[in-house]
Amino acid sequence: MRLPSLTRTKPEAPNVHAEPLWSLRPQSDREAGDAVVSNFMLHWFPAKISKAAMAWSYSFWLGTISAALFFLLILSGLPLLFLYVPSVERAYQSVKDIEFVITFGSWIRAVHRISAHLMVIVVVLHLVRVFLTGAYKNGVGRGQQREVNWVIGVVMFLTTLFLSFTGYLLPWDQLAFWAVTVGTNIASSIPAIGPGVRELLIGGRNIDQPTLIRFYVLHVVFLPGLLGVLFAYHMWRVRKDGGLARADAETVLESARATEVVPTKTYTLLGMARGTAPTVTARTMAAPNTTVNAVPDLTRRALIATLGTIAVVSIMSVFIASPLEEPANALITPNPAKAPWYFLWLQEIVTDTTIRIGSFTLNGAFVGGVILPGVLVGLLTFWPWLDRSSLRAAGVWLPRERRRQNIVFLLLILGVLLLTFVGMVLRGPYWNFYWPWEIWPEIPGRI
Amino acid sequence: MSEDKKPTDRRDFLLTLGAGAGVAAITVQAAASLRSLVPNVSYDAPTTVKLGPPSDFPDGLKFLPDERVLIFREGNTFHAISAVCTHLGCTVRAEALASPQSVDAGGASLRLTHRFLCPCHGSEYKGDGTNVAGPAPKPLAWYRLLLAPDDGQLVIDLADEVGRDFRLTLG
Repeated sequence: MRLPSLTRTKPEAPNVHAEPLWSLRPQSDREAGDAVVSNFMLHWFPAKISKAAMAWSYSFWLGTISAALFFLLILSGLPLLFLYVPSVERAYQSVKDIEFVITFGSWIRAVHRISAHLMVIVVVLHLVRVFLTGAYKNGVGRGQQREVNWVIGVVMFLTTLFLSFTGYLLPWDQLAFWAVTVGTNIASSIPAIGPGVRELLIGGRNIDQPTLIRFYVLHVVFLPGLLGVLFAYHMWRVRKDGGLARADAETVLESARATEVVPTKTYTLLGMARGTAPTVTARTMAAPNTTVNAVPDLTRRALIATLGTIAVVSIMSVFIASPLEEPANALITPNPAKAPWYFLWLQEIVTDTTIRIGSFTLNGAFVGGVILPGVLVGLLTFWPWLDRSSLRAAGVWLPRERRRQNIVFLLLILGVLLLTFVGMVLRGPYWNFYWPWEIWPEIPGRI
Repeated sequence: MSEDKKPTDRRDFLLTLGAGAGVAAITVQAAASLRSLVPNVSYDAPTTVKLGPPSDFPDGLKFLPDERVLIFREGNTFHAISAVCTHLGCTVRAEALASPQSVDAGGASLRLTHRFLCPCHGSEYKGDGTNVAGPAPKPLAWYRLLLAPDDGQLVIDLADEVGRDFRLTLG
C-alpha cells in the first residue's frame, strides 16, 4: 500500500519539490530516491545499490546481523539496568531475582546472554568474510579508504569481546570471579607496568567492590557508547567508500568487457559521496539491470535480516536457560576453572607457553596472554597494508591471487577453533586432558 | 596565507590562544578524571594477620582460606607457604602423598606430606612449593611467621617473603 500522497500547495520548480514525498513502496525511481533523502532512518542508505553487493551469498548479511544483535543487547539491557544492583553484597541476589522471581526476567536475561554469545560469533564470521573476500581493499572509486574501515572493524571486534568479558563479571558468581581473576592477572604479567595496569583495572589489589563498579560502568556506559560511535563511523565509511567492495568488483568486471567510453555522471548525494562512487556511475544507467533502488530492495532485506535475528534469539531464549553458579567465593577456585568459551583458546595458550631457558623463565601468562594475541591483533590490523594483491582480488570470494594468505588465515582460524574445542571439551580437573568418554575423577571440593 | 612567515596579527593570536585554552582545559579535565580512578587508599586486608594460638594448628597442614596460605607444623616448628599459584593467581589445592618423603629445602631438612595442584591451568608444585609441572613460572612464596608479643598468637606477615630454610621453632 502506498502512503497517502501529500497534497502540494506550492508551485514546483523543476527538479525541486517543496514537500517531502516518500514511501516504503515507491512507485517511481524519484520516489525511491526521495525516501532516502527525506527519511531520517533511511538517510544512511544510498539511492541505488548494486544487486551483486546485496546478494545473500556474498556477505551473508553478517554485518547487519551483528548490528541487529547489538540493538537487541541494548533493548534487553535496559530492563536489566533497572533490576541489577552493582554491589558486591547484592549483585548475586539481584541476578538470582531476575532469574527466578521477576516475570519474564529469565527470558530477558537469556535474550541478553544469547545475543552476546551470538554477537561474538557473528562478528568473527563477519571479519572472516571480509578477509576472505578481500573486502578491505580499495577498488575503482576515488577517495576510498576501505583499510581504515577494516581497522575500525578490528577495534569494534575487540570492543565486542571486552563488552562480553565485562558483562561476565556482573552476576558475581564463581564463574565470573575466577574468569576475572585470571583475566586481570594476564594484564599484570606484563613486565614493569603490569601490576599497575591490573590495579587500575580492578581498582585495588583484590577483586572487590571497586572492580565490580568499574566493570559495570565499562559495560553499561563506556563500551556500548564507544561501540555505537564506531558503528556510526563504520557505516559512514561504507557509504564514503562507495558501498561494499563487491560493487567495485562488478565495475571492474564490467569495464573489462565494455571498451567504449561511458558517460559519467557525478552525484554528490547530501554531499556524502566524494568523486564518482561506483554505485552511482553513469554505467549503472547504461546497464540498469545491475542496480536496484535501495528503497525498497535494500530496506526489505535489512528488515528480513533484523527480524530473522530477533526471531531466532527470542525462540532460543525460551529454550536455553542462563547458568548462574554459586556466589563468588575468593576462597575456593572451582576445579576446573574455565574462561568464557571465546577466551578458552587463550587459556589453552597461556597453559602451554611458559618458556624455560636454563634458569630463565618467561611466564606463559605474558607469552600466551599478551605477546601472542598482541602479535595476532597487530597483524590483523595492518594486513590491508601488507596485502599486495591487485584490485581484481577485491570483493571476490577466495580469489586465486590471494590464495596463499587466505589459506594461512583459515589455518590460524582453524587453530583457534581447535584450541577452543580442546579447552571446552577435553580439559577436566586440574586442567588435565580427558577424552569426552572418560569420566572425570572424583575430587573433593575442599581441602 | 603564503608560505613565508607573516607577523601574527591579533586575530590569529587570539584564535591560537582560544584553541590552546580549549585543548589545555580538556587535557586537564581528562587527566584529573583518569587520576581520580587511581586509588590513594587501599582498603585491602592488612598484610600482618594474627592466625590464632599455635596449639590450634594440627601436625601436618592447615589451609587458611582468608589469607590463601598453607600453615605447616612439624612438632614445634612451623612454616607457611602461599596457596596462590604463581602463574595466574588461582588458589592451589593440596593433595596428600601416599608416602611422605624427606628433602633438603634450602639447607634445612623438610618432610613433604603433600603436593599442590592448580585447577586453572594444571600447574603442579612439590610439598616445599617448588614448581615441577605446568605453566607456573616460579615456586610458591614462603612467608614469615612470628609469635605475637602480646598474646602469643601465631602471626603471618604476607608482605615478607622468606627463603625455604625459614622455620619458626617454639621454645
